[in-house]
Amino acid sequence: MLVYTINRLIQLIPVILILSIVVFGFVQLLPGDVIDTLADEEMIDDPEIRKALEKEYGLDKPIYMQYFYWMAHVVQGDFGKSMVTRRPVYIELIERIPATLYLALIGIGISIVIAIPLGTLAAVRRNSATDYTAQTTSLIGISIPEFWFAILCILLFSLHLGWLPSSGYVSPDENLAKSVIYLILPAVAVGFRQAAFTTRLTRSSMLDEINKDYVDTGRSLGLPERRVIYKYTLRNALIPTITISGLQLANLMGGTVVLESIFAWPGIGLTIYQGILLRDYPVIQAGVLVLGVFVVLVNLFVDLLYRVLNPRVGLG
Amino acid sequence: MSEVDVQLDARRRVDTLREDETPWRIRWRRVKTGFSTALSELLKSRTATIGSLMILILLTLVVLTPWLATHNPIKPNYRERLEGPSVEHYFGTDRLGRDIYSRVLYGGQRTISVSIAAVALGLALGIPLGIFAGYFGGRVDAISMRFVDGFLAFPGLLLYLLIVTLAREWKLEGFWNDAILVFALGFAFMPEAARLSRSTALVESQKEYVEAAHIMGEGRFRTAMAQVLPNCVSPLIVNATVRLGYMILIIAALSFLGLGSSPPTPDWGADLSAAQEHMESHPMIAVFPGVAICISVLSFNLFGDGLRDILDPRLVER
Repeated sequence: MLVYTINRLIQLIPVILILSIVVFGFVQLLPGDVIDTLADEEMIDDPEIRKALEKEYGLDKPIYMQYFYWMAHVVQGDFGKSMVTRRPVYIELIERIPATLYLALIGIGISIVIAIPLGTLAAVRRNSATDYTAQTTSLIGISIPEFWFAILCILLFSLHLGWLPSSGYVSPDENLAKSVIYLILPAVAVGFRQAAFTTRLTRSSMLDEINKDYVDTGRSLGLPERRVIYKYTLRNALIPTITISGLQLANLMGGTVVLESIFAWPGIGLTIYQGILLRDYPVIQAGVLVLGVFVVLVNLFVDLLYRVLNPRVGLG
Repeated sequence: MSEVDVQLDARRRVDTLREDETPWRIRWRRVKTGFSTALSELLKSRTATIGSLMILILLTLVVLTPWLATHNPIKPNYRERLEGPSVEHYFGTDRLGRDIYSRVLYGGQRTISVSIAAVALGLALGIPLGIFAGYFGGRVDAISMRFVDGFLAFPGLLLYLLIVTLAREWKLEGFWNDAILVFALGFAFMPEAARLSRSTALVESQKEYVEAAHIMGEGRFRTAMAQVLPNCVSPLIVNATVRLGYMILIIAALSFLGLGSSPPTPDWGADLSAAQEHMESHPMIAVFPGVAICISVLSFNLFGDGLRDILDPRLVER
């Protein structure tokens, strides 16, 4: 296991390298450079001053050297300053990550609470009314655009009925009750789509397990059906469900952009989105890089967890 | 005769050379039989039948859009703002008095064409990469899969956001804007297509027919493309179908964020975003584009589910 973990960690290096090259290349591909922006602001048109500025920013060096300089700073946590707020980018990001994590975790939580019982029931009572209902609902669930679902929820619950606020965010440390009220709509919007995925997954992996020989063995030993299903089968069927939920969590960190913008949820997705609108490139770069590394690490963790839960998978 | 015998017999009859037939006619006959077999298989699954019917209708609408639309989708009409559905305007009008029905049709034409092109591009890039990685293994596999992993590390919409932002900064309009959207979506799909074809190719390349091809002196590239690839197709088809639906969702999400098309282009996502302002007084304008997205995505998902049941009979027998 230790060797495997170390191996996987080594494999991460090229992945993170590609990630950083793409993120670095992104800004290189933009029309104009820092000097142009600066020259516009300060009305500099003297080529001598331009040269000096280029030297100061390291832009006279070859592109790979510029990349190394940039990486050297990034590794030390220095992503530069936001071009809009003039504050260090890492501070902006650290402030925003908890809000996204909070939304994503509760969303995944809601989805698990709905999906696992529903998916299990659908598989156990295959081809029953319950199964068809679960299948249809989850199929519709994965087909609805989440932003549209969110809009309809706002329309119903906040504009029409006036039960919940239509947007905004209150930190849970500040006022827990109020924070939960603001959380409900966004979290349901996140959870609904995830629940649809997870229901389908639970159902199919449960069906896979129910047809295995050990289930027949259990039954023929005279174990009660309930025990066979809920104690032995479900336990195995949940392994893929739990691992996929982990991956979904990682993916949601960058996947809640649209919902964050609808609900004015001050998370990392909204930060990157605003960065795009305001052309705040250091924020975009750092945000994407940080999320990318986060995703890679969560994936690794989930993969390791999967192997602990399911020792039958080889360590190859 | 067993089912296998029946199939073999049919194949034999198809392949028998009739005296007056040219090789091309035989090929055509094979395509025809293949098609009718596929169709009869398709009709066995209810999900696939409904899904394929819905897709057929969608594609017809896409093709016939210019004739089905009743109004110019981008021409404002300030005297008829925010009207409800009527005989004149089937779905009503938006805040600029434009006919929502026509906008939904044109929006669909663009969205569905872009997603089909994007999936095709993703497959065209990903399949060769995956097949070669799986078939050659070793260093080719290791290098290309790390490359793929790098792109898979972009969570959610971020890779699309980066590419679309570039397009915006370069001020690409009209056709080029759509082209870059196709590129962004297709490129982001490439890693998944590569992963999937790799894992199938890995299994396939161990089989005896590959060895047989080697013994017969077929080159390695040819074996990979002509022998291994056709056997890896079925999971890819299922994946591509479901992905088409997902592409529609992503296109809508990007436009909703204002990063897809530029106004006044009719666009489901952008129209929904604009509808938000008048949602309280005129909820209907937020309904039609959303329903259109839902139905299109649903068709592809249904079809994908049905196809999976057909191509992976293991699941149906239970």
